[in-house]
Amino acid sequence: MLLETNGLTKYFGGLAAVSQVDMSVDGGQIVGLIGPNGAGKTTIINLISGFLRPSRGSIIFDGENITGKKSHLVAKLGIGLTFQIVPLFSEFTTLQNVVASFYISADSSLWGSIFRTSTYRKREEYILNQAEEILQLLGLDKVRDELAKNLPHGYQKMLGMARALAVKPKLLLLDEPIAGMNPDEINLALKAIEQVRSQGVTILLVEHNMVVMSICDRVIAINYGRKIAEGSPEEMKKNEDVIRAYFGGEYAT
Amino acid sequence: MLRRGFFTNKKVVKMASCAGLIILLCLAPLIMGSYSIHLAILVLMYIIITSSLRTIYISGQLSLGHAAFVGIGAYTSAILAIRLDWTPWGTILLGGLAAMVAGILIGLPFSRLRAIYFAMASLFLGIMITALIAVFPELTQSYTGLMNIPRLFGFPKEPYYYFFLGLTVLTLFVLYRIEHSRVGMTLKAVAQSHLAASSIGISESRARILALGIGCFFAGLAGAGYAHYSTLIAPTDFALMPSIYLLVYLLVGGTGSFAGPIVGAIVLVLIPYLMGGFKGFAPFFLAGALILVIFLIPQGIVSLPDRTKSWIRKLHKRRVSESAS
Repeated sequence: MLLETNGLTKYFGGLAAVSQVDMSVDGGQIVGLIGPNGAGKTTIINLISGFLRPSRGSIIFDGENITGKKSHLVAKLGIGLTFQIVPLFSEFTTLQNVVASFYISADSSLWGSIFRTSTYRKREEYILNQAEEILQLLGLDKVRDELAKNLPHGYQKMLGMARALAVKPKLLLLDEPIAGMNPDEINLALKAIEQVRSQGVTILLVEHNMVVMSICDRVIAINYGRKIAEGSPEEMKKNEDVIRAYFGGEYAT
Repeated sequence: MLRRGFFTNKKVVKMASCAGLIILLCLAPLIMGSYSIHLAILVLMYIIITSSLRTIYISGQLSLGHAAFVGIGAYTSAILAIRLDWTPWGTILLGGLAAMVAGILIGLPFSRLRAIYFAMASLFLGIMITALIAVFPELTQSYTGLMNIPRLFGFPKEPYYYFFLGLTVLTLFVLYRIEHSRVGMTLKAVAQSHLAASSIGISESRARILALGIGCFFAGLAGAGYAHYSTLIAPTDFALMPSIYLLVYLLVGGTGSFAGPIVGAIVLVLIPYLMGGFKGFAPFFLAGALILVIFLIPQGIVSLPDRTKSWIRKLHKRRVSESAS
């Protein structure tokens, strides 16, 4: 098991945004975290990635307790993250965004940067190649020298994923990876996600758009901060609690 | 910058023009009088300090107390040379290191503060350091200032000019290399989005402290060098107003490019001296320059060539469309 949460709970004031969530993600899977707006999905992602501290409960990643760890340390352990609204390095080009994201796997020394030692140059070349590979994988090579702020929305979202990949994560958290995309972009994004998984990266993705269910191995449904159901995509489509949560009581059979 | 064809023609041209410029600057004292050499030394010093301020700036920190670090360098070096009789060559380096340590110590608690809060903290730091200097009169002579600081060289000013020229070239080389490496990217990344930065494992405080350490080191070096040139330093040299002037040099020159602080320091340090009898109006001139730049060329003087080009293009377009209609 790669990721496990036990009794994960988060209060905002008196409101329990996430309440007693036990869930687990196995290595190599694509797991979907679904639920209507305001169900607490993004809060769960933020708790795992260390942007929020849990009020109660624990998070175990790869055998290590990461509850309450700071976000940059969580990233160092191998959890990549993309955001719903992508905060990009907007003054960097697409390529620079990805190159900068190799911070963990190849920290560059001050000494090397100033004197451009041969180790430094070799490492830069290596990183450049890796970055170009990631861009190709996600179909971003066409816009490699564009400033990130000038990219269309779909590309920006993909760039968010490219950056997360540069962290070389074991687990990739995708927060609404296809929100605001047009159908063509959605197809590309879903293919890219499967590509990423085929490279051995486990994926936990949050969506309220049910389209993503098609690529998920397993789906966890959340409503009002609680887990209401869990199973394969087919099971979930028939699950009454899930249908009720999405469409209201009268549509449940 | 990160392309494979590393030694493109453009790069060679750039390096050649830098080398040519340095040779010209080396020959310049042959035709300069004593007063112009003094001015040149001041300009070089301000280039170092303003560029070091920009290194801090690109990590998203607006320092309103940068002159204080110049002062730490100057006072450390001067006191060590006076009290312990150490050679200024060594104490200047120690002055830089002292400023760096001070910068890092300040960074530890304050680097978590973003935007305006860091600016406020650095503002009070600047005020505090001048007050601190006044608190230890037997060491610092308080507001009278330190006098008779050992000189680095004998009387003609030329050696000082070459000293500051060398220091400037070294500083700019190091700062340029750092900015155009992934270390520099890290600094800029933190400024652009701390969320994105921490999601890829960059520690925001570490990047900011690094920028402060580097920036303060060179500011301290320049300050220390200045102490052994002028042989006289006073707390007011490093108070709030000098810090604000540094910011004005940076903003007017342009924050977005490496050449910005260089151009800003040259233009704004020189012009008040060239105003002759109207020197008293220098503050008004600086304020006017700042306002003009903010409204007309927000990217600073360095963006003027590009600006003019686009203005001309627009004018040309308008003329074409007028003649067509």
